[in-house]
Amino acid sequence: MEHDLVIALAKAAGLEKALTDYPDDVAAAAAQAAETGGAIRVPTDPAIEPWPPMRAGTGR
Amino acid sequence: MSELHWLSIAEMAAAFAARRLSPVEVLSALLARIERLDTRLHTFVRLDADVAMDAARAAERDIAAGRSRGKLHGIAVGLKDIIDVAGLPTTCHSKILLDNVARADATVTAKLRQAGAVILGKLATHEFAIGGPSFDLPFPPARNPWNPDHHPGGSSSGAGAGVAAGLFPAGIGSDTGGSVRNPASCCGIVGLKPTYGLVSRRGVFPLSYTLDHVGPLGRTVADIALLLDAIAGHDAADPGSAPSGARDFGRELDRGVRDLRIGFIRHFHETDMPATPEMTAAIADAARVLESEGALVRTVTLPSLNEFAAVNRVILASEAWSVHAPWLRTRPGDYGQLARRRLMPGAFIAAGDYVGAQRRRAQMIAAVEDAFRDVDVLLCASSMDPASRIEDSAETARTYPRQARTPFNVTGHPALAMMSGLSDNGLPLSVQFAGRYFQDATVLRVAAAYERATEWHTRRPPIG
Repeated sequence: MEHDLVIALAKAAGLEKALTDYPDDVAAAAAQAAETGGAIRVPTDPAIEPWPPMRAGTGR
Repeated sequence: MSELHWLSIAEMAAAFAARRLSPVEVLSALLARIERLDTRLHTFVRLDADVAMDAARAAERDIAAGRSRGKLHGIAVGLKDIIDVAGLPTTCHSKILLDNVARADATVTAKLRQAGAVILGKLATHEFAIGGPSFDLPFPPARNPWNPDHHPGGSSSGAGAGVAAGLFPAGIGSDTGGSVRNPASCCGIVGLKPTYGLVSRRGVFPLSYTLDHVGPLGRTVADIALLLDAIAGHDAADPGSAPSGARDFGRELDRGVRDLRIGFIRHFHETDMPATPEMTAAIADAARVLESEGALVRTVTLPSLNEFAAVNRVILASEAWSVHAPWLRTRPGDYGQLARRRLMPGAFIAAGDYVGAQRRRAQMIAAVEDAFRDVDVLLCASSMDPASRIEDSAETARTYPRQARTPFNVTGHPALAMMSGLSDNGLPLSVQFAGRYFQDATVLRVAAAYERATEWHTRRPPIG
């Protein structure tokens, strides 16, 4: 993830204080997030719903 | 009779019932041991000795008067310090919540009290059950009784170290990516992550709503069954709580494994994340032991361990960010560095990636359910390495994710880790068993058969 994008996303998430005081930790967190998602084979079939499914209440 | 601090729950209960021992005698021995050893092991964030002794005296009176509440009556239990005990702070081992006094017991605490257990105190954890062994927190990290230079695993670190060291016979931890089973593996004891929804999470500080489980740690499989009997059950206050099912989780302990079909997931530790040679040998030996006891062992293939781990990380990071964002925005300096780094990734994960992980999770659950059509129990690695040196942060960072526990947080199936050997440098090796939903008793059955056939549960750490 590019540095400018990390800064922009961190600010959008409200992490200005962390950016000022712990910039290396913010960068490390962004790097972890970027590394993680790529390993997942997200289903291509739109019918595969997320777990857990929405469930209605009891109606009582 | 063996030394009091090494008695199992079942042995203590029998001795209490026969009036050969009293809860006060046992607690006195445990408190003396805690005083002697815990300055090195740091298992407690808060020891509630006076209140525990009052509870032990009350238990002694009740048992003497014939008012026994069952096998946990008078038994000392430690709770991970993310679990509420009314009147005590739930600090989550963090500066953020140092003054967070619980107004009520968590459901699991209340159930233990109903069973007569003596609540001994609050136990060390990784900060908010995620950080890692850290030295920049209000309390020191717990250490491994097999070698205090080593990590006891986590995040239920104090529970694992304290049970293994004979400071108390039972601990309750939480498990979001393996945090009950990791300390059980590192400390050479037994830890169970029950089926999702079997044990209430109400009053347990959340890390990841759809991955969090509460589970017991003990020195024997039978003790785990007794603890699960006490803490399982439906709780309307926990949205994920399952309807009450069958109890008596120890009902199958003596059945053995003859003709039970066991699926051996070799690829987790042979190719996905290759384990050390001695861990690999210990896992293979566990399969051989069960085969020699009459089980039918066959190889099973599931999605890759790396993908299970990635799904777990995306879900955990996203849900944990939802919990911690307000504090990370305003008080980032009140977290230790490890927790700060591990809780902020959720700020950088897109909503679509979270939902994508949850959709892949549905397929992974289906894959494990498919496997359970052909086998009764799964056998696989728990950790790929023995415990790292606690002050070697690079080694801990390298080895900590090398584990096969996250698949069963992703799927919610019951999974148990236990000792299966000792490394050349005297640290516990481990194995893991997983079962069908709500067949926790069958997982315990296999673990009990393995325990009977081996002697690892009789080994004690050289802590004195």
